[in-house]
Amino acid sequence: MQPKRLKGKEENRMPRKKVSIIGAGQVGATAAYYIAEKIIADIVMVDVIEGLTRAKALDFLHAGPMRRYDVSIEGTSDYSCIEGSDVVVITAGVPRKPGMDRMDLLKVNAGIVKTASKNIGIYAPNSTVIVVSNPLDVMCHVAFRTTGFAVRRVVGMAGILDSTRFRFFVAEELGYAPTDVHAMVLGGHGDQMVPLPRFTTVAGIPVPQLMEPQTIERLVDRTRNGGAEIVAHLKTGSAYFAPAASVAEMVEAIVTDRKTLAPCAAFLRGEYGIENLFIGVPVLLGKNGIERIVELELDDSEMKLLHKSADAVRKGVQELDSFFRLN
Amino acid sequence: MIKVSIIGSGNVGANSAFFIAENRSASVTLVDIREGLPKGKALDLSEAGPIRGYDTSILGAGSIEEIHGSDIVVIAAGRVRNAAETRNDLYRDNAVLMNEICEDIKRLAPDSVIINIVEPVDRITLLVQKLLAFDRKKVLGIGGLLSSTRIRYLVSKALSVSAREVTGIVVGPHMPCMVILRDTVRVSGIPAEKLLPKDSFEAIIHEVRRAGDTILHLAEKSTSFYAPSAAVAALVEAVARDTGAILPVSFRLQGEYGLHDIAVSVPASIGAGGVNHILEIQMNASEKEEFQNAVAELRASMEDAAEAVEGEGGKPHA
Repeated sequence: MQPKRLKGKEENRMPRKKVSIIGAGQVGATAAYYIAEKIIADIVMVDVIEGLTRAKALDFLHAGPMRRYDVSIEGTSDYSCIEGSDVVVITAGVPRKPGMDRMDLLKVNAGIVKTASKNIGIYAPNSTVIVVSNPLDVMCHVAFRTTGFAVRRVVGMAGILDSTRFRFFVAEELGYAPTDVHAMVLGGHGDQMVPLPRFTTVAGIPVPQLMEPQTIERLVDRTRNGGAEIVAHLKTGSAYFAPAASVAEMVEAIVTDRKTLAPCAAFLRGEYGIENLFIGVPVLLGKNGIERIVELELDDSEMKLLHKSADAVRKGVQELDSFFRLN
Repeated sequence: MIKVSIIGSGNVGANSAFFIAENRSASVTLVDIREGLPKGKALDLSEAGPIRGYDTSILGAGSIEEIHGSDIVVIAAGRVRNAAETRNDLYRDNAVLMNEICEDIKRLAPDSVIINIVEPVDRITLLVQKLLAFDRKKVLGIGGLLSSTRIRYLVSKALSVSAREVTGIVVGPHMPCMVILRDTVRVSGIPAEKLLPKDSFEAIIHEVRRAGDTILHLAEKSTSFYAPSAAVAALVEAVARDTGAILPVSFRLQGEYGLHDIAVSVPASIGAGGVNHILEIQMNASEKEEFQNAVAELRASMEDAAEAVEGEGGKPHA
């Protein structure tokens, strides 16, 4: 028998937070798992493959009694279930397959992200959107334009992933605890990233004091190719634990208003001399999405690298524009 | 499981047991000369376990014999400073107590790592190391770590950012003349000095130097104990789980930072055997001078206290 809720003013109830994840593939489902473990929000996973999504949600729920999370987790193909979400994460998209060129990938994923964004605009108009689909910086533009959300409420997951990889490599190299290492990276995701060793520290000590320049360069290269290194091992898949952990970190910062300073893709309007482009910069994440963009004083070579990275992203956006004009 | 014994079940001792239990990093034995106190606190902590989700053993003992075989011994006995007295009065009283405690530790837990929180912490840490004649890397004092967590908090508050990503290292004596290494005070790698107005950063530094007094004034008769207990638990965690975490600890220096036979806080990587190694941080000229002056101030205070009790213990161990 269902117990009756005691009478009282409903408006006095503290609402539970809600996070929706579009795309229940490896990154989406693993992000759901990390978020569930944080016990900060109820979770909805939306995927076109309804059975798989439902199955994953049930499987997570079955683990709850042992893992001690008690949030609700729902798997569905119905976008209306995302209604009232505080955060929506877009992980949907296809990986690049053999024979596909960059433009093909961009077209397919732009279509998927556009559909997701339309539905977010309809069902979760007050949410903050975290974009994960690749090519990341370009997909941020798709989500931004389609939802019509304020710039602070569309943010891309990229730098935080590059940064956690770099943090791990530095810790491994020096034999220190990974949690003691902090790192800042700018720019586009992956091979376009702009690492900032002087803003990378072990317990606050800048790494140039602790490592030879050649060692730093080697770790930077490994970070740039961090995704590719994993693909090379897996052959038919790509990384999803670190990307999902990065998503969960961002979700937590927004849902719990943690004010985390982390590198994320944000829409720049003149910061760093870059106009109207999503690119990785240090941002403060809180309940209002991007609450602040931190402008670091970069030296000439860092600035040059950032602008080179921005040019590459801009090229992708132009490709996107030509595609949208055709449609 | 790693066994931690905590000598002294006052506020710091009991709250250290609490944070260690929450970390689930070790079993805890609380000891105090007042027999009922550790037993009562241990039982209270154990009874909170089912709700808090820890199930490590927490025992209260009336006899020091119960520290037998400990991997880590936390010294949280002695009294705290009252507002009216000098640090030398405090040193003399607590030093007497250390003689007795160190005899017991030597006999019952000869292989343990020591974490000292007894004030004045640098001098007592040096004394304890001499009395025990343990390898110096196994005798650690809480000093810089406590000031570091304070500056990390104050910076996070001033900037309205999460404290989790804020770093900061404080070195030198655990006295108002402590040295705050400004360049290490960062948020996700970005120097706090670049994010904060200059006067607000200076105000934070000023506040960190007198943080203990601030709490003493606010809480009236109580001294700070949550942050010191958190510092103890962080060190226990690093030793128990052999993490290599970098934490500024007070420790007897033998040549590092150009110092000999004095304990002050320096950043160290902490693991199963205590200090794995010291990190020698680059200081700028003014920080170097500040550090030297601070050490000189500590030395001067040591010389005018008759630290005769030191002679009664074991020989210094390099």
